[in-house]
Amino acid sequence: MAKIELINICKKYKDETVIDDLNLTIKDGSFTVLVGPSGCGKSTTLRMIAGLETATGGEIRIGGKRVNDTAPGHRDVAMVFQNYALYPTMTVRGNIEFGLKNRGVAKAEREKLIAEIAEIVGLDQLLDRKPQQLSGGQRQRVALARAMVKKPKVFILDEPLSNLDAKLRNQMRTELIQLHRRLGTTFVYVTHDQVEAMSMGDEIVVMHQGVIQQADTPMKLYHEPANLFTAQFIGTPAMNVLDTRDAAGLSLESESTVAKLGFRPEQAVFDWGGMHEGYRLTGEVMTRESLGAENIYQIKAPGGVFFVKTFLEPLREEQTVRVVVPYEQLYYFGPDGKRLYGVRVQERQLAAAGGV
Amino acid sequence: MTAWEKLRPYGMVAPSIIIFSMFFIYPIFYMIYLSFYDWNFVSPDKTFVGLQNFKDLLTDEDFRQVLSNTTLYTLMTVALTTGLSLFLALWLNRKGVFHAFVQGAIFSPHIISLVSISLLWSWLMDPEYGLLNWVIGLFGFEKMQWLSHPETSLVSLVIVAVWKGIGYNTLVFIAGLQSIPADIYEAAALDQSKPWTTFRRIILPMLSPTIFFLVIINMIGSFQVFETIAIMTQGGPVNSTNTLVYYIYENGFRFFKIGYASAAGVILLAIVGLLTIVYFRLLSSRVHYR
Amino acid sequence: MALRVLNVLCLLLLVLVFAMPFGWMLSTSLKTLPETMIFPPAWIPKQPVWENYAEAWKTGPFLKYFMNSFIVAIGILICQALTIIPAAYAFARYKFAGSNLLFGVVMVTLMIPAQLIFLPVYLELSALKLLNTHLGLILPFASSAFGIFLLRQGFMQVPEELIEAARLDQASEWKIIVRLMVPLVKPVLVTFALFSFIAHWNDYFWPLVMTTNETARTLPLGIAKIREVEGVATWNVLMAGNLILVAPILVAFFFSQRHIIRAFVYSGVK
Repeated sequence: MAKIELINICKKYKDETVIDDLNLTIKDGSFTVLVGPSGCGKSTTLRMIAGLETATGGEIRIGGKRVNDTAPGHRDVAMVFQNYALYPTMTVRGNIEFGLKNRGVAKAEREKLIAEIAEIVGLDQLLDRKPQQLSGGQRQRVALARAMVKKPKVFILDEPLSNLDAKLRNQMRTELIQLHRRLGTTFVYVTHDQVEAMSMGDEIVVMHQGVIQQADTPMKLYHEPANLFTAQFIGTPAMNVLDTRDAAGLSLESESTVAKLGFRPEQAVFDWGGMHEGYRLTGEVMTRESLGAENIYQIKAPGGVFFVKTFLEPLREEQTVRVVVPYEQLYYFGPDGKRLYGVRVQERQLAAAGGV
Repeated sequence: MTAWEKLRPYGMVAPSIIIFSMFFIYPIFYMIYLSFYDWNFVSPDKTFVGLQNFKDLLTDEDFRQVLSNTTLYTLMTVALTTGLSLFLALWLNRKGVFHAFVQGAIFSPHIISLVSISLLWSWLMDPEYGLLNWVIGLFGFEKMQWLSHPETSLVSLVIVAVWKGIGYNTLVFIAGLQSIPADIYEAAALDQSKPWTTFRRIILPMLSPTIFFLVIINMIGSFQVFETIAIMTQGGPVNSTNTLVYYIYENGFRFFKIGYASAAGVILLAIVGLLTIVYFRLLSSRVHYR
Repeated sequence: MALRVLNVLCLLLLVLVFAMPFGWMLSTSLKTLPETMIFPPAWIPKQPVWENYAEAWKTGPFLKYFMNSFIVAIGILICQALTIIPAAYAFARYKFAGSNLLFGVVMVTLMIPAQLIFLPVYLELSALKLLNTHLGLILPFASSAFGIFLLRQGFMQVPEELIEAARLDQASEWKIIVRLMVPLVKPVLVTFALFSFIAHWNDYFWPLVMTTNETARTLPLGIAKIREVEGVATWNVLMAGNLILVAPILVAFFFSQRHIIRAFVYSGVK
């Protein structure tokens, strides 16, 4: 068990800088998820921790020890790959055993460890099969077993669920969370899927263009996004963002320029029939999506297109709708995309009760 | 990286590179060098004669005959092999045990030694008692002289080459046909394309890389024909089947005209080199459909 | 229905064009000499003459030819395994200065046929005192540009992830090659081995040029020589000898037709 520190890490390929001056501490025993769109540098960061890529600059520490020059096999790190990377010429047993053999673990000890692990991940019947004879979920388990059997200080998982179908993915998510609880080892997990990140991680690192946008707990990320990117990356549908110039009927008081205004689709309320204090918007409903428990509306207002999400309400059939967003649910962003705090609304509007 | 890690790749390729340099690259230059000399292999001195060997070659009536034989043989072999095998491929491109058996049967000559094939066909083409004359007799033709007559000897060799090569070519074409995705045929069928149109507008263009490959491979192969000639005709009768490699062999090993033979070798090198360059040019400039 | 019958008949006719010569070879090899000189020819010999085979075998030191063929073909195969695997791996997986140039040497070699350079190589082997030796027949083919090319493709197709997984498993570079990579390209290796063995077993040209006496002569040379020893007309003995040469390959082909066809066809296409 160990914490991981990345200090002033740089990564350059020839002329292209992928990561510039990255600092991150991954807490001991945490389930940390690196998330971001493809090409954001999350996989590169992960691979540098594993030692599969060398950092161009900076220092990587695992458990307080500098590992920049340590070979991948000696970092006490185990990895689960996106395509599992099972050795096709070896049996399941061979796959799990390979790393142990290379470490010079004695035969009796190996047998014991393999039996133990196979029991845990439910592979005991499949030890003599070849990977090609296994289903996707079973391969996933072999990959996990191969990583676990080494009892590493750090587990690294690179999009391990992306090749599974939706149902199996949900099941494996739960299993991975339970596995993390049981082992208590540091997990570093990479995904491009923010839902996966939110549901699994206890620490989430949002990355974009090689820069860490925000590193926080899931709830903090959702409620207190530090910038426009995080705000729009977390949550489905994404946070609605309007240009303040297009936001008619709202005057703001602030020390710095407010460029953008945002609110979450699930925080907006349809105005009919209630008393609400907040920012009011009127628009045409373009599409309605009903998912059963929740409905999603796409609405075209003079200021731009935005989404509204409602829960456990009947689907609305009107063409023109009025929507209210409570003032305290509005987020403000500066021209550079940074979140602005301490912005006040000057003239408060009270949505008319029962107005048609 | 340690020094060992830096040197490792060189150590790994070294044995192969040394062998290639010794037995393929260096001989090329040595041959070009020898082509400027007059040497009989036994005498200790070589005499520099400049381009004399090439001049002699180009004015030599025999060599002209050899060049024309080789070209004619190549053109006939390549055209027949490629055309017939494309036809056979379209015909035989089915799955199933029976078709696999037929494919195996026509392929079998390809893995047989050319010595066997040459001996076997010498016997089949025997003017007196050969089976081939009996077969054409069934169709009402007169007995033919085959290899023993200057007018039919080269064509007889072409028949043997086509018989040996057609199976391989057919199977390469079948592999090419099978790599055309099935949905393209289905789309064509839905567009009510007639079989001939489908062949000309879809199959043929998509097979063009395969056709190129086979034409060039067959050409390079045919230009170097040796075994059948050495065993079946020894270049005769009256030089009608003498080809480049056999000519080089005879001049080098029978008449010990090393420089002269080398010059002929340089000419063969130029032809093969040109074909190879053409192949790679076409390969890179050609539209790829996939 | 009628069309299908016609199709099958045509197919059988096609098979006949390729099978009949071999049948004719077998039939002739069992005839007496007078029986070969009948026209129209008889298909079935009255009394099979097995002595033709013995006679063919006696025309030269055939056991020696056979051994020579075996030593040369297997020797080439072993040498190629030792040289091609590391070279192909280095070209596929390492970045090193000059790798493009060195691979260029491989590609140029791939384009040079043996028929083009036999004369200078003969002089070279003669200077090295390697004419009429097994080594002289093996050495020029101790590596194969074609094999390197083929195997390099195979190595390049292995996903990088697998090697990384092995590295995280603390496997040394050597172990990665021997335990992981080579087993992964086994189909390509088998393909190439079949191709190489058949090509060199059958080869007539190279041993013809590089030998001047019986010490290292191979089977195809021996068979071709029956004709010179026996004179032109003894087709029955000649076909018996020919069958000795062809039989092993045909039998092998009969049992592993699929493999051999794949070896030749796909190695050419890709």
